[in-house]
Amino acid sequence: MAELKKLVLGRKNIEDLDDEQELPTELMTVNMGPSHPAMHGTVRIVLTVDGERVVESDVQPGFLHRCFEKESEYATYTQIFPYTDRLNYVSPMINNVGYAMAVEKLMGIVSEVPARAQYIRVIVSEVSRLTDHLTCIGASAMELGAFTPFLYFLKAREWLFELLEELSGARLTYSYVRIGGVAHDLTDDFDDRLTDILRRTEGVLAEVEVMLTNNRIFRDRMEGVGAMEASVALGYGLTGPCLRACGVDYDVRKDNPYLVYDQLEFDVPVGTRGDCFDRYLVRLEEMRQSIRMLRQAMRDIPAGPVMAADPRVTLPPKKETYNTIEAMIRHFKHIMDGIKVPPGEAYSWVEGGNGELGFFVVSDGTGRPWKCYCRSPSFINLSTISRTIHGHLISDVVPIFGMINMIGGECDK
Amino acid sequence: MAKAVLDALRGKFGAGILATSSHHGEDVAIVTRGALLDIARYLRDDPAMAFALPCYCTCIDYLGLEGLQPSAGTVPTAYASRTRGEGSGAPGARFAVVYELRSLVHGQRIRLKVPLAEDDLVVPSLSGLWPAFNWLEREAYDMYGVSFEGHPDLRRIFMYEEFIGHPLRKDYPKERRQPLVRREWTDE
Amino acid sequence: MSAETRADKEAPAPARPEAPASVTLTIDGMPVTVPKGTNVIEAARALGIDISAFCYHPGLSVVAVCRQCLVTVEGQPKLQPSCQAMAADGMVVHTTDPTSRGARRQMLEFTLLNHPVDCPICDKAGECVLQSLYFEHDNAPSRLDVPKVHKPKVVDLGPNIVLDAERCILCTRCIRVCDEVAGEHELEMKRRGDHEELCVAPGEVLDNPYSINTVDVCPVGALTAKDFRFTMRAWELLATPSVCQGCATGCNIEIQHRNERVWRLVPRPNPAVNHYWMCDEGRFTYHALREKRLVSPLVGGLPSRWDQALTAAAVALRAVLETDRDKVGVVFSPQHTNEDNHALARLARDIWRIERFYVGGKPPVPERADKILRDADVNPNRRGIRAILGGELAAGAAVLEEDLLEGEIKALLVLGHHLPLSDEAMARLAGLDALVVIADTEDGVTLRAKVALASASWAEVAGTVTNRQGLVQRMQAAYEPGGQALPAWEVITRLAQASGAALGYGSARQVFDDMVQKVADFRGTVWGSDARPIQLRFANSRG
Repeated sequence: MAELKKLVLGRKNIEDLDDEQELPTELMTVNMGPSHPAMHGTVRIVLTVDGERVVESDVQPGFLHRCFEKESEYATYTQIFPYTDRLNYVSPMINNVGYAMAVEKLMGIVSEVPARAQYIRVIVSEVSRLTDHLTCIGASAMELGAFTPFLYFLKAREWLFELLEELSGARLTYSYVRIGGVAHDLTDDFDDRLTDILRRTEGVLAEVEVMLTNNRIFRDRMEGVGAMEASVALGYGLTGPCLRACGVDYDVRKDNPYLVYDQLEFDVPVGTRGDCFDRYLVRLEEMRQSIRMLRQAMRDIPAGPVMAADPRVTLPPKKETYNTIEAMIRHFKHIMDGIKVPPGEAYSWVEGGNGELGFFVVSDGTGRPWKCYCRSPSFINLSTISRTIHGHLISDVVPIFGMINMIGGECDK
Repeated sequence: MAKAVLDALRGKFGAGILATSSHHGEDVAIVTRGALLDIARYLRDDPAMAFALPCYCTCIDYLGLEGLQPSAGTVPTAYASRTRGEGSGAPGARFAVVYELRSLVHGQRIRLKVPLAEDDLVVPSLSGLWPAFNWLEREAYDMYGVSFEGHPDLRRIFMYEEFIGHPLRKDYPKERRQPLVRREWTDE
Repeated sequence: MSAETRADKEAPAPARPEAPASVTLTIDGMPVTVPKGTNVIEAARALGIDISAFCYHPGLSVVAVCRQCLVTVEGQPKLQPSCQAMAADGMVVHTTDPTSRGARRQMLEFTLLNHPVDCPICDKAGECVLQSLYFEHDNAPSRLDVPKVHKPKVVDLGPNIVLDAERCILCTRCIRVCDEVAGEHELEMKRRGDHEELCVAPGEVLDNPYSINTVDVCPVGALTAKDFRFTMRAWELLATPSVCQGCATGCNIEIQHRNERVWRLVPRPNPAVNHYWMCDEGRFTYHALREKRLVSPLVGGLPSRWDQALTAAAVALRAVLETDRDKVGVVFSPQHTNEDNHALARLARDIWRIERFYVGGKPPVPERADKILRDADVNPNRRGIRAILGGELAAGAAVLEEDLLEGEIKALLVLGHHLPLSDEAMARLAGLDALVVIADTEDGVTLRAKVALASASWAEVAGTVTNRQGLVQRMQAAYEPGGQALPAWEVITRLAQASGAALGYGSARQVFDDMVQKVADFRGTVWGSDARPIQLRFANSRG
């Protein structure tokens, strides 16, 4: 080893380095994460490298495991909403919506959710999708050295978070959706605010696109890196923008339309090579499509109630609660016992920021679920990493990992 | 269209299918452990099935719900109050391993449930057919203790290796703490 | 949870009864076969259908006053109360048709008309039948636009019960409990219409020994027990099944506890022992769990470590065993489980070859004995000791007193702290060469002990006790023993170890298995499974 040191450190001139000379090499095991700036969401990858090239890898998630499923078994159905917020915490509304839909499916009240509530759910889901993609591209660009797009995107993201904070009261952990609808109506100036933000966000997208899409460094680092064939990707359970980048046209919103997606016009961008650059392009275009959908939804949203009229799922108005025994009892049973869901099991899936986000709910007839499993796309997408980083350089691990958009909360549940 | 899948399975695998149901528009087939691998292979390879996209794999612990008799009369106390449910699909089977698959070509979904008894918690691994199940089965092993035969790398995925027990089982108390604390530290 | 065997072999086997005739009826399209004499509401419950009811209780007579259980019976022009309608062959009952559903909703609306908006301050919230039934069967908003009728809110009915007359839904369950279970007519309804109110019968006070059962059966929070009211919310409690230690009847109970503290005891239904009831004194036995608890071993009255205490005890006892074995006595405890007593018998009788046996426990209270539930013997497990000692009951406290006063005893190993001795005999205890007491309370004999070994209380151990009928019933541990206390069988095992012998018991189950093998009367008994405490908020409402 002392020889090696002299060779590498002792050289004064690069010409002295004789590339015919055989440098003694060994496979080295390097630890990447869990405390690593690029391993956002705390994932540990144990890399076995030959020089800079990855020979083998062991991806170890689980550092953010917070027992979502176990806690769900002890909480009422409504109390689980804050837990779902913390799954994919950059697009929490989609988690809320996905979970609510699973319980509604099990209760058989999917059609009772009023139209206005469905539109609102679509609007907040698409806003969350915007925040998710903004974070993903922004953070990945930063890890490649492009700090400016990160700041620009986070500025745009913050506008959206502020908007949702005005709506729900919390910047990130909204718990806005309820079984049977949403907790309360949109704020009065939501339309104006959203229009303004969308206009500005489009401007930011245009700016960043100029900075990144034809950027030599960005393209060199992202093109050809982390490519996966469609058939292999399917076998790995890959879904979402990553699968669409491989050329498979699978988007839950088109494939199995839920809420009011079948009434909105939008396109699903599909890539060709499945590498990181395609994933970036898919995400960028998806953001534009989300903005398109949001404009349509705000135009078409009807007036009306935002919660189902079913007393089994809706809390009574507060004035009645304090003054009549009937409403008092109803409120009490809702809060203490939870919404009684008939026994059975159901799986409901939505298009999350990273792919098919599903909730598998098993009920035993009481107000608390027997099991509430989250099919988290980040977890399953992350399992493809061992395959895609194989043979690449360590520095390629960063864009590959970034473009998977593994959100730790969703991956580790 | 999805009923065709259940009919085909029933026709082809007869005794391997314990029951089928289509509640909430979802197709569920309760299968025996012995038939699981063949059924899965058929679902993947047969062009009329073409279930190329694996969705998830999990396990359900039915502790306390195995008997699943309707509550029998009398004044309910805390103990007599467990309500009905669907159960694992086989009497006396505490666990059920659940797989869900999706066919993009035909637009179908199918859920397979394998009932297992507590002392015989082994099931053949499907990770050879769909690589996604590699991690998903590790998760089921970690959380419930289900052993998957033929899995290339069956170890814990969320919990640390020294963890004792399988936390999502119903008899694992939520409040139990198992901190991993290193006591000795030598700087050799 | 409750293991049963006939340990009592003296009575002749009863003549085999004829199989009761059964009837098959159809409820909501589902056929069900029930024994003849079953009412429709129970037949529906067998199918899992909950026809709401307030006044019906399977342990009380049927009065059909609440009209909440009305169902449609084909062939009958009017709706029938399903608690009163007997199941008949070929009967077709509908519970979900609009008429019966509507009738139920109307009854609930009627009941709720004058019901105060008390849920936040009502004790029954969380286990209230009215809340459950309204939520399951009605859920319609209020149509009332006039003031509600007001009645007295805090009426002292007796030493144990407080009445809130506004909450009362006039189901009369409490009146029937007093009349039919306790056999004393102490409650009545006065006035009528929406001014009808519960009150005590003229000249009476609600003080029968089964009064708190009225609180159990009350579907709402009208009757509350002074002992429990305002202390704990029902949904915060955990319930563990066990057996009451108040007397030899062995009523099946649920220990309702939280944070390792028992908040109340409620009866569990057992048709063979206590049906649905238990006496008030039994309910209050949980207070003793927090009084003067011995939580660490004492040597010479001072706290000590387990190893030191066990060594001191072993040394002291062995010294006397070697010289005057026949002057060493062992006192069994009918307040402890079969497992504890069996372990003691194995150590004292089989290993140490002591022949001087006594039985301690509380002295009998003959005025208690009634034909209902209360027994004169206020110890739960006297029969168990008899079985363990081979069918002969050891000498009681009187003989022990005599032997003490005559100087016949030099050492005693005592299980339990209840030993009804006179002051003079107690004083003699101090003069013994060795007095080792295994108890959970620092009272009685424990105060005189040279070595006191802390054992767990009855709520903290899993084990079995044999009641006066000879039924072996299973107790479950509600929480871990506090301090350094250990279950008594474990204390005995460690004492054996400290003295050089080996009993080899690692768990209560092992003691039980050993006992079943060695004691003829327990053959065929089954341990059952260990029950986890269930949180009440996971359960449906009680009552």
